[in-house]
Amino acid sequence: MSVWNETNSVAEHCWKHGNPGFPVFDMHGHMGPHYAIYFKRGEAADMVAHLKKAGVAKLAFTHHYALWEPSYRNANVCEICKEFPENLRFYVGINPHYPEIIKEDLAQFDKWRPYVLGIKMLAGYHKVNVTDKSYEYALKFADERGLPVLNHTWGGRGHYNDGPSMLKLVEKYHNAKFFHGHSIFGDYEYAERVVKESAGNSYLELTAVPGENGMIEKFCELVGSEKLIFGTDLPWFDEFQAIGGVVSAKISDEAKRNILHDNVERILGKEW
Amino acid sequence: MEDLFFFDSNCSIGMPMNGGNYAADAAALLSEMDYSGVEKALVRYINTDIAIPYSNAMVAELLKGDTQDRLTGVWTILPSQCHELPEPDEFFGSFKENRIGAITLYPVEHRYVPCRLTLGKLLDAAAERKVPVLLNGFAGKWSELYNFMKEFPELTCIYVERCGKWGSDRNIRPLLENYSGFHFETAGYWVPEGIADLANEYGAERILYGSNFPQYNHGNGMLQLKYSGLSAEKVALIAGKNLENLLKGAQL
Repeated sequence: MSVWNETNSVAEHCWKHGNPGFPVFDMHGHMGPHYAIYFKRGEAADMVAHLKKAGVAKLAFTHHYALWEPSYRNANVCEICKEFPENLRFYVGINPHYPEIIKEDLAQFDKWRPYVLGIKMLAGYHKVNVTDKSYEYALKFADERGLPVLNHTWGGRGHYNDGPSMLKLVEKYHNAKFFHGHSIFGDYEYAERVVKESAGNSYLELTAVPGENGMIEKFCELVGSEKLIFGTDLPWFDEFQAIGGVVSAKISDEAKRNILHDNVERILGKEW
Repeated sequence: MEDLFFFDSNCSIGMPMNGGNYAADAAALLSEMDYSGVEKALVRYINTDIAIPYSNAMVAELLKGDTQDRLTGVWTILPSQCHELPEPDEFFGSFKENRIGAITLYPVEHRYVPCRLTLGKLLDAAAERKVPVLLNGFAGKWSELYNFMKEFPELTCIYVERCGKWGSDRNIRPLLENYSGFHFETAGYWVPEGIADLANEYGAERILYGSNFPQYNHGNGMLQLKYSGLSAEKVALIAGKNLENLLKGAQL
């Protein structure tokens, strides 16, 4: 009997119905064109249609332009979310090279609720380490309010969002909710440390991980499924592929449910 | 799977030099395939890039452990001028008894230019016999792959993604458009509903399910394909029938 045939399992439900039987929360998405790739489904309507097919109730995203193109402002993203109020939430894209824009945008944060969730940092591309003072205003803002902070992270050492840098961040801020995008991919030592040596406000976000053989199993062993958050980088990666990677992993159904749904509800509540 | 026949076109067996995930032998690989409901697999030796020509003998040896006839092997070719492999008639003539169904090449690691001068004799024989050629060794070197396809346009080949997880449409689509024998394998192609887009534009018979096991698990791509948005008939082609047909079409 294969994983897909286990009676009344999450995987079986996915195989038969195309969704796990409960709403999925995808906490790492993007939107819009990107120079390095062809997207057929990079705009909101197509993305939301894809989410619905896979049973993903909400996507939290940052528009590509809000990260790569300084003239494109986060206010535009809020307007996109208003068109899909049940499905889309956004992180304020933080570009450390434009401190005045950061202040202007965060000044509108309360006005943008409930569509806005937190902030997103992309240090590896902006080439400013996550510990740099240019992020402090935004990080203090998030910390005071207990907001999610999604970072692009990756393994290896000596770069802008590596494991040691992320550890410094969680040691400094104890109230913001850190989602370590891509789970510091490949650096198991620091993936474990950023969770265990935090004040309990640190989570590994799984974009690019589901499908990697044994990796979700390893994270469950190192930090527990309660510390894992689901994400896809949509429109980069397919929701069915990523959900398939989670539900076909050799972990319990409780762990699968934690990753795809329960953990986010514990962090953000039922209404967000 | 009872409802869908999966034939994995991108799978490796053996113990990797630098550790990591692996299936050491046929029993271990078949157990992994059973966990996910994959019926058959086209199998390379995991160290083929660094252990040629030993790897060809190894994959044949490891396949002897599959008593259910679920695994088909892949052998690696090299330039014929150094006589590291038998002459084409003898080489392809030994495929059946060793349960080999396809060939592959690693020009980057094996340090040669993949062109007519080096591989013409073997690849002309492969094209004549319609033996599938896995293109898993170009490591994202698109201009080399493009030159290769220009030199060998008649090949029956399967491109196997090996350059990260970002969809390669800008490079893949021109090859699908221009070479009718060029097929695309899905492991690592995580583009939302992209499998359906490729199948609808170039034909479902040009797309093949693959896992890239043991780096990836089998299951993620299975769910992606099942819910790709294609008809059940097209999904079945991609899941397994296309590869089965290609292997049956080889004159060995």
